[in-house]
Amino acid sequence: MKAGLPARFNSGLSWVLLVFLVAPALVAIPVSLTPKRFLSFPTNELSLQYYIKLFSSPEWMSSFWQSAVIAIASTLLATAIGTLCAIGLWRVSSKAGEVVRAILLLPLVIPPIIAAMAFYRLFVPLGLIDSYAGLILAHTVLSAPLVLITVSASLAGFDPRLEQASRNLGASNWTTIRRVIVPGIKPGILAGAVFAFISSWDEIVVTLFLSKFSVYTLPRRMWNGIRENTDPTVAAAAVVLMAVTLVAFTVWALAARRNRTTK
Amino acid sequence: MAELGKSGSLQLKALTKHYGTFTAVENVDLEIQSGEFLTLLGPSGSGKTTLLMMMAGFQDITSGDILLDGRSIAAMPAEKRNFGMVFQGYALFPHMTVRDNIAYPLSVRKRPKAEIDARVGEMMELVRLGDFAHRLPKELSGGQQQRVALARALCFAPPVLLLDEPLGALDKNLRTEVQAQLKDIHHRIGTTFVYVTHDQEEALSMSDRIVIMRNGHIEQLGTPTALYQQPTTRFAASFLGKSNFLHRDGAVYALRPEKIDLAAAGHGQGANKVAGIVQSVTYFGSVLKYQVEVLGMGLIEVDVDAWRGGAPLPEHSPVDLTWADNAAVRLNDQS
Repeated sequence: MKAGLPARFNSGLSWVLLVFLVAPALVAIPVSLTPKRFLSFPTNELSLQYYIKLFSSPEWMSSFWQSAVIAIASTLLATAIGTLCAIGLWRVSSKAGEVVRAILLLPLVIPPIIAAMAFYRLFVPLGLIDSYAGLILAHTVLSAPLVLITVSASLAGFDPRLEQASRNLGASNWTTIRRVIVPGIKPGILAGAVFAFISSWDEIVVTLFLSKFSVYTLPRRMWNGIRENTDPTVAAAAVVLMAVTLVAFTVWALAARRNRTTK
Repeated sequence: MAELGKSGSLQLKALTKHYGTFTAVENVDLEIQSGEFLTLLGPSGSGKTTLLMMMAGFQDITSGDILLDGRSIAAMPAEKRNFGMVFQGYALFPHMTVRDNIAYPLSVRKRPKAEIDARVGEMMELVRLGDFAHRLPKELSGGQQQRVALARALCFAPPVLLLDEPLGALDKNLRTEVQAQLKDIHHRIGTTFVYVTHDQEEALSMSDRIVIMRNGHIEQLGTPTALYQQPTTRFAASFLGKSNFLHRDGAVYALRPEKIDLAAAGHGQGANKVAGIVQSVTYFGSVLKYQVEVLGMGLIEVDVDAWRGGAPLPEHSPVDLTWADNAAVRLNDQS
């Protein structure tokens, strides 16, 4: 059957929107390959010199690893907290529980700049400014709601009789979660973990408020690089940043697909 | 067959369950004997499933008490009660193999591996699942899944097995076969079975005793024969089997369709005789079902063994209906 005019208009519009959203990000790719000394499009030849500079610079590499440590640690924390929270709310399923859920989802609606100020006020007296612990905690708070959402979606399709069966067969609460519930909602947990990782990996607003000298994440170094000079190494770093995000997303997409086909 | 632990007796005392203002179960007293096959039979909303869930520990009780072998278990959490349960839809763990599903109750009890292996093998033999140990539940047919659920529920030798409409998902032919298997397994292991169903045939063919539930209370309790032959209420008489209801001298009588003899007009002989006109006749293989209009009694259903009397009497033919004195059972309902 041939698609009608409105349908073709729809799909055409979708493609335009997609290009509109993605193109600015893709600009970083040609810029990172420029042979010139400033941010510009390459004209005649392509050069990998800024990638070489990026990977041989101790500052950039240190930022890369710091971002990775913070993203991985906050992902683990946010996934554990978000998953347990989702299971708890699923079990209680009451009005009071829905109020708690709304409060937990607040970090998603609060503008990052407000959240950043709140963290700052809270962390100064606690001595958590400019520390790994502070950034990991802040990123955990920001990304736990993402896990709560994806895991809750998985739980909506989870048969509550499986939990009853496990308890009836003599399993404790904790054993039931570990051996029956978690395996059943694995796709949601994995999706939440990937989103949590991505949200910490490229987080900049809260990071700007909470870090000074000793913690210097990749997005922060890019921010400073753009402000202080027009070194195309920033573009190379941006491409690496997007590549890692894309890898995380692909891992999730492949796992989700495998899960669907085995179900 | 290996020893399966002691079977238990259950006592329900004035058991009541309210959901807000709705009363799901009201003041139920019931003694379930050790080793008995007891069926809770009733339409949906009659409270039979709520009753079972309270025994299993998944529903809080509003008031009353549940005793296992004389000790109250009302406050005991589900995982401590040690009751086996076969769930509606089986609730097999989809990510575990058949073997791991059956081994689950033993592995959460941290039994040694050798014991688990031996026990699982024994259970798989009991329910005849030998070749399926390493399959996943979704690779099995409905009947096989039902057997895995049964093996899993019996694996840890529970004193009581609760079954929540375990045959609901099976097709009709398979159901009869599984009923026989269930009864056979009950006979061999001697565990107390509490079985919930809305299917009267299942209740009649398997149970030692049947509890007919209605609107949260026990309507009537007895052996299948007693319930079928001597129903005490109109509801019991029509929910378990079919019945005609006769009104005589201010009382109601139940009269089973197969207890009525039908003959062409003028040929009927019996203690009670009425004349009527055949409204319809339907052939069911083993029986012919007649609907006969009788003046002053309305439509009377009559079942006749199809092999007995030659060709069916056609519609509109005048007939005599006769029945023995003890065929009509007086009910407690008012006329």
